[in-house]
Amino acid sequence: MTNARPGLPEFDYIRPTGLDEACRYLKEHAGQARPFMGGTDTFVRLRDGVWHDTYLVDVKHLPGMRTIEFDAAQGLRLGAAASMNQVIEDPAIARHYPLLAEAARSVASFPLRTRATVVGNLCNASPAGDTTGACLVFDGLLEVHGTGGGRSIPLRQFFLGPGKTALASGEIVTALRLPPPPAGAFGHYLKLGRNALSDLAIVGVTALGYPDPSAGSGFRFRIALASVAPVPLLVEAAAELLCREPINESTIRAAADAAMAACNPIDDVRGGAEYRRRMVRNLVRQAVTEVWQRLQC
Amino acid sequence: MSAKKASPAPLASPIGASPPRIDAHEKVTGAVQYTDDIPFGPRLLFARIKRSPHPHARIVKIDASRARALPGVVAVVTGEDYPGYIGLYLQDRHIFCRDRVRYVGDPVAGVAAISETIAENALELIDVKYEVLPAVFDPEQGAKADAPLLHPKLEDYVVAPFIFPQNGTNISNHFKIRKGDPSEVWGICAAIVERKYTIPHIQHVPIEPHVAVALVEDSGKVTLWASSQSPFAQRNLIAKTLGISQSDLRVVAPAVGGGFGSKAGVSMEALAVAIALKTPGRPVKLRLTREEEFHTAFVRQGLIAYFKMGCAADGRLLAMENRYLWDGGAYTEYGVNVTRAAGYSSSGPYEVPNVHADSLCVYTNHPVGGPMRGFGMPEMHVGLEQCIDDLALQIGMDPVEFRRLNCLKTGSTLVTGSKMHPIGLPECIDQAAKAIGWGSKAAPSSPRKRRGKGIALMWKAPAMPPNAGSSAWVRLNEDATLTVGIGGQELGQGTFTVMAQMAAAALGVPMEWVRIATPLDTEYSPYEWQTVASRLTWSMGNAVVNAARDARGKILKVVAEAWNEAPEDLDIVNGNVISYKTEESLPMKDLVVYGLPRPDGKGWTGGPIVGDGNFMPTYVTGLDKETGQGERAVVHYTTGAQAVEVEVDLDTGRVTVLRGVAAFDVGRAINPGLVRGQMEGGFVQGLSTALFESLQLQEGVLQNPSFVDYRIATTADAPEQVEAIMVEVPQDDGPWGARGIGEHPMVPTIPAIANAIYDAVGIRLSSPPYSSEKVYLAMLEAGLVD
Amino acid sequence: MAQHLIQMTVNGEPAVAAVPSQMTLMECLRERLGLTGTKCGCAAGECGACTVILDGEPVNSCMVLAVECEGASVRTVEGLSRSGKLDPLQAAMITTGGVQCGFCTPGVLMTARALLDRNPHPTDAEIREALVGNLCRCTGYLPILEAVRSAATAS
Repeated sequence: MTNARPGLPEFDYIRPTGLDEACRYLKEHAGQARPFMGGTDTFVRLRDGVWHDTYLVDVKHLPGMRTIEFDAAQGLRLGAAASMNQVIEDPAIARHYPLLAEAARSVASFPLRTRATVVGNLCNASPAGDTTGACLVFDGLLEVHGTGGGRSIPLRQFFLGPGKTALASGEIVTALRLPPPPAGAFGHYLKLGRNALSDLAIVGVTALGYPDPSAGSGFRFRIALASVAPVPLLVEAAAELLCREPINESTIRAAADAAMAACNPIDDVRGGAEYRRRMVRNLVRQAVTEVWQRLQC
Repeated sequence: MSAKKASPAPLASPIGASPPRIDAHEKVTGAVQYTDDIPFGPRLLFARIKRSPHPHARIVKIDASRARALPGVVAVVTGEDYPGYIGLYLQDRHIFCRDRVRYVGDPVAGVAAISETIAENALELIDVKYEVLPAVFDPEQGAKADAPLLHPKLEDYVVAPFIFPQNGTNISNHFKIRKGDPSEVWGICAAIVERKYTIPHIQHVPIEPHVAVALVEDSGKVTLWASSQSPFAQRNLIAKTLGISQSDLRVVAPAVGGGFGSKAGVSMEALAVAIALKTPGRPVKLRLTREEEFHTAFVRQGLIAYFKMGCAADGRLLAMENRYLWDGGAYTEYGVNVTRAAGYSSSGPYEVPNVHADSLCVYTNHPVGGPMRGFGMPEMHVGLEQCIDDLALQIGMDPVEFRRLNCLKTGSTLVTGSKMHPIGLPECIDQAAKAIGWGSKAAPSSPRKRRGKGIALMWKAPAMPPNAGSSAWVRLNEDATLTVGIGGQELGQGTFTVMAQMAAAALGVPMEWVRIATPLDTEYSPYEWQTVASRLTWSMGNAVVNAARDARGKILKVVAEAWNEAPEDLDIVNGNVISYKTEESLPMKDLVVYGLPRPDGKGWTGGPIVGDGNFMPTYVTGLDKETGQGERAVVHYTTGAQAVEVEVDLDTGRVTVLRGVAAFDVGRAINPGLVRGQMEGGFVQGLSTALFESLQLQEGVLQNPSFVDYRIATTADAPEQVEAIMVEVPQDDGPWGARGIGEHPMVPTIPAIANAIYDAVGIRLSSPPYSSEKVYLAMLEAGLVD
Repeated sequence: MAQHLIQMTVNGEPAVAAVPSQMTLMECLRERLGLTGTKCGCAAGECGACTVILDGEPVNSCMVLAVECEGASVRTVEGLSRSGKLDPLQAAMITTGGVQCGFCTPGVLMTARALLDRNPHPTDAEIREALVGNLCRCTGYLPILEAVRSAATAS
């Protein structure tokens, strides 16, 4: 039987004074050391015996990790350690990226969101992550600091498999950057859990739409799916349909069918593949319809 | 001491009032002590348990030498030292496994160390060699003649006389009803329904996990502190298996953070005692993690139920043939009685002239089935109440009318041949149907939703030995307050408050003057069989009333002598002894300890007042082994009805329970506020089991051992409203007519919801939970959605 | 493994404790500071029984390391009542019957207290959402929601 320990296993708490020190430490103790912020995934994995690190490196307090900044030219810089509640309450995010706040609000509970972070959610690389869709459709990229200096990783290249990211040994994500959002965009995150609220996503649908005169339909959509593939899934085929043809109930149905065809869910303890497939179709239809109605107002 | 004239107007009786619970203040301030809150000092050791990874295996060898050598480890214990069997109705279990393991999580060894971390680390150092054996995961498979035998020594186990194991098989109990002859009437039935329902395992999920601390002194005396519903049963069973006297094992039961049956009988508590016997002088604490709760604590056993029932054209039920196969798990020492209770209740709350029922408890290599709220009734009613709906619809009769016609009424003949005592089940049906607005349907909240209403009935008797007893003492203090000693536990249901109300009413004092002696402690608390079966208000209530009346009689005798009057002319009102003859009045304080001077001035009369009382039913007869018939099967039944309104989402299959109505015949609501608390809480727990809960076992291994994937109802899932209707047809031997209500509000909830789903979308599922996925796929198969 | 000496303010009073790195705030409160009002229901951030208010925000204290709380201000259920006077939430819970076994109660009170501190007049939907991470098995939640509503109206 898998049996979690009664409490956390023994480890040393390390509190570096700067980013370089943190990255060096992580690289030197690769395989034994791990960075953490809110701990909501880290502590659970340690207790369950999935991870066995003996050094936990607290990076929350390092420069720039907690701030949230927006400017019209650059877009959003979301410090890696900003909590999900901070994201939900931030006026710039509410104004320019409300879809991200909506997705964050669907996570767990208020007390858990005091600790949980969006970047942590991304680095966890679970296909069920609620905020990954919003970050993907806003074309996010991650600012990363390592022993060799800094680099950026576009989110589209970040997720390699369940729990696997493109981060190299000794690297820490310092911020999520979202470019300025397309003008006139509306988004919606539809999450299907077992309970009416909270719970993990059995299926999660993120839809963003915005006017674009260069598109055949006059609009562009971006659609991302959670919990139906090994990684968070951007569905290009569905988005394509909505950008090419005039948007009506029939195109939306076709897009939903395309999303259903593109996903690859499994049977697991939370849900079956057949149900998930059909929920992708139904929820994409619902989410896109909702966004479409708002675009028309 | 002179008496005053004029007696004050009596306070309103606390009976039927809803004063706030007497333990609320300490609970909202965090002051109340649960077992893990008690400080035991720096000598406290911590225990962890090595458990079987296999569902069925022979233990070949245990090598604990490396664990014993780990610094900080004080003792390692295995089953080698504890050969005794233990069990409530059937002794089929050891404290630690001896020759074999029978479920994933079965305890194989225990470690005591100076910290929980060291004890946990030591588990890795215990090497156990197993020889895997073929396993049984299904009661139908387990009941077959060629199934692997899980308890070859079944024949030798000590067993209660009303349990019937089938030796040489995996069937640890077979209860039969043979009443009339269904085969003679199938031919004349206007409609017959035959269905199979499968009910998965679920669990109690108290928010406080199990915890026990044991201390063995050099003298040999043992003390056990545990989150416990049953200090006396735990004392009895553990003492017996260890071969010590009950009085040498003291059980202290501090506040309990939820029980629902999981903390009754003996489960992990014996492990703490067994380990502590190896560390004399040092207390040992054992706590279950939440994951261990899911894997190893009592579960509600699964059920495969076959129903066949038929009725005449006018709707009268003519026959039932029901077969219940219980997935009892690795040890059925408690679960055998669930099987029996389902057997003698197998007709549901209906009058049926011909019933054949077989209720079988089958050993499987699954977690241990134990008592859970409802004790077999929720599982059984799931299918039974859906078949009733089916039958009604087949003959074109409204399901409420069908139930009204066939339900048990005062004087009805029961499936066991006994007669029903006065009950208000028909009124419960009427009130529930009216309150839910039966026959009308509001528009759904959106075009992609469908609304439905459903109703279900239930009945249940306390399932217990025929001689389960209660006792109480009442001790008066100088300030005229009373301390009441009881052995029944406060689990949140409000028993301490209700007992205070009853003691106050029976003695004649304000309720605020009553204290309950806590924590429960077998050293000074009086005997109580167990806090289960919804029996305390009725049984322990009687004992408390008897004790209070005894104290009252003693007080009146003293004052009568001091006043030279007859006790019959005196009374206690509002804490004052008054004379109806002379209108003298005397406050009770001081006299209840120091007595009163004699009227002749020469000496004193009276002394410290202590009253005692007990209650034990004396009238339960046995049931025939072959027919299940008997004069009086049980003490009494609580009956009731629930109705629900649901909405089903056609796009996701999600079932939302909009509101619920609960109508139960409680005899007399001693504290209606607390009764409402049971009705609301039970409804939501029932809703949770209907929509979310199942222990997903695959090849004996639990796939969802945590809150992440064993979902229970949250604030978001509770309906807008649960209306609680209390019907009061008095129980002849209940205090003020009261009978139990703790379990009953979660019994009919699953079928009420299932019947509402059918009303909404015309589909039935063969097993709960009615998850969004299952409902959607069923609608898909029925062609309702694409 | 290292021990850390941490200083916090708990319920307005200074508190000092020596803790190993892996000790959670929940364990520190219960085992080092004797404040056993905060309960452990799962140790995995799922049930909410361990909720406390940390630097003004509610957290599952089983998901916070004690060592992270150096210099922090913590409020637990023991700090809700002032000089023997119950917080309106505590009083309301008694009146509405929102307490049965009491084990979820401290966590519920702290989550609700934090809610009313940031949103003094929440809607029914906001109350349900705020408490969704506090599991209760006894009451069915309705009297708990009523208590929060009533305390919000009273203040």
